[in-house]
Amino acid sequence: MMTADKAKRWGNSASLYLVLIVVSVMSVLPFVWIILSSLKPHDELYSKHLTFFPQHYTLENYLKMFERMVGFGFYYRNSILVSFGTVILTLFAGSLAAYALSRFRFKGDQVIFLVFLGTIMVPGEVGLIGQYELLSAYKLLNTLTGLTLSYTAFNLALTIFIMRGVFASVPQEMLDAARVDGCSWWETFWRIMVPMGASGLAAAGTLVFLNAWNEFIFALTMNNWTDEARTLTVGIQLLQGQWQHWDYGVLFSSVMLSFLPVIILFLLLQKTFMRGLTAGAVKG
Amino acid sequence: MVEEQRISGRHAWRGLDGPYAFVIPAIIIFGMFALYPILRSFYLSFFHYEFLRPEEMRWLGLGNYREILGDERIMGWPGLVRPEGPLSVWEIVFYPFVVLWLTVNSPGGAFWNTIRFTLMYVPPAIILPLILAVLVERAGRLSTLFRTLNFIPIVVSVAVISIIWMWIYHPEYGVANTLLRAFLGGEAGYTWLSDRSLAMPAIVIMAVWHGLGFNMLLYLVGLQRIPTEIAEAARVDGATGFKAFTTITLPLLKPTIFLVGLLAAIGALKVFGQMFIMTQGGPGDSTLSVVLYLYNVAFSYGRFRFGYASAIAWSLAAFIFLVTLVAFRLTRERR
Repeated sequence: MMTADKAKRWGNSASLYLVLIVVSVMSVLPFVWIILSSLKPHDELYSKHLTFFPQHYTLENYLKMFERMVGFGFYYRNSILVSFGTVILTLFAGSLAAYALSRFRFKGDQVIFLVFLGTIMVPGEVGLIGQYELLSAYKLLNTLTGLTLSYTAFNLALTIFIMRGVFASVPQEMLDAARVDGCSWWETFWRIMVPMGASGLAAAGTLVFLNAWNEFIFALTMNNWTDEARTLTVGIQLLQGQWQHWDYGVLFSSVMLSFLPVIILFLLLQKTFMRGLTAGAVKG
Repeated sequence: MVEEQRISGRHAWRGLDGPYAFVIPAIIIFGMFALYPILRSFYLSFFHYEFLRPEEMRWLGLGNYREILGDERIMGWPGLVRPEGPLSVWEIVFYPFVVLWLTVNSPGGAFWNTIRFTLMYVPPAIILPLILAVLVERAGRLSTLFRTLNFIPIVVSVAVISIIWMWIYHPEYGVANTLLRAFLGGEAGYTWLSDRSLAMPAIVIMAVWHGLGFNMLLYLVGLQRIPTEIAEAARVDGATGFKAFTTITLPLLKPTIFLVGLLAAIGALKVFGQMFIMTQGGPGDSTLSVVLYLYNVAFSYGRFRFGYASAIAWSLAAFIFLVTLVAFRLTRERR
């Protein structure tokens, strides 16, 4: 009896792990496949017999990519500048506003918070047309500044919402102590709130970073004349259009370079990523 | 408690060291680059307005909204509502019935395509991650590993994911057809993304795969909120395995299931990148989504019809708001 029971339990957990392994492999396989394919020589990619592991490893695709896809590095640079610019600006303006809204009572504070909260519900696409007109009027189309300001504006409400909750839980005694020491409110923000809310800031920061790095429709429309401020999400799609009839290997390597940094960043900062993304779940 | 800790308004903060100065950077950026564009779009939706011909701008009233209802590429049915002139009785009385009939008969048009995409996407996006989350939770020491692996796709952008899946669906060298040939034999295979009836399901499969990890995470957060005492008590009462899942876990997870479903539906109604990159709305108009059509009307059909595009955007926002409202209403007692 005992052994039958044990066997059944063993069978249960074996099938549990089997299912989990299959599903997890399916989640990761496309990425692994791209990485491996980017290391295959040209004729292996175009053979009728699809291989999973390369028969010969080669870096020729990467060399060719840097040689011929001139735009790639430039798009990459733009994505990095816009994403980090957005994170810094959003965290600065957002957490400062969250500090005011969580720690002070002043005329209009409720209204300000409700307006911010209300726009979390509005799909960003609704602002697309107005945004294009605005940026065009201020000569900000096709500029990194324009895109950064646009991303910042559309991530602010969420950041304020998250940071307001974080700052509200900082004990009042700490602020009082800082005030007694002669700190101004501005200094109190930097000395108390920022260190105390560091993990919240990190979570909000990764969320904003992902939003900015992966954003597509604004990046597409706000850069529709020239290349100057084109980011990777749009750039890689353009390159794909130009190169798809030409050389798959080169494309595989560019796609691989565009997802790898984010995946590595995620693997290093898993907990922060997950906290940020679930906190951001209120946004549709 | 928070309220009490906040400092009341009698303390004076003139100058730069006070709440007004602290909210101003956010208000300026937000007001200029988010709030103003949103309101401006609303204003423009009542005008005939082409971006390149601002001198022809004129008031239309609800004309743009009426054009939506009569736009064959949105509603799949031409000329039901005329964009201008007084509404006829038939337009007012029968339109709802026509819409109902159209829903049943699943016509083309961006609106119905989007609805179809949403209806195909939401059920698996609710169920599959739930099963996965429950299994991951039971994996003991390895659960972190499985959680991480399944979460990877969601940190990669829709743009890159779409490109990867275009290769998976490639008719000649793609993985999908290679696997089909390996298991079913023969030289056959599908032209996934250029087949009228397969293109949409192919995109849905990709979207479900892409969103799996995020929805799993939401469920895992929900599962952690279930008090262990309840699970213990149920086990003592003899509820184990599947029975414990249906009688204990599932009812307590209802708020999370609602959240996952609502977020999935909202995201699906706004679908854009997948179609823009993989099919450009084709073949025919079979994968033309509302946002893709909006984008085309505004930026790629050459006339830059910002007034009409704004009306489409606001109609979609109103529809999403309506869906949210109905979802909250319908589930009020059960949540």
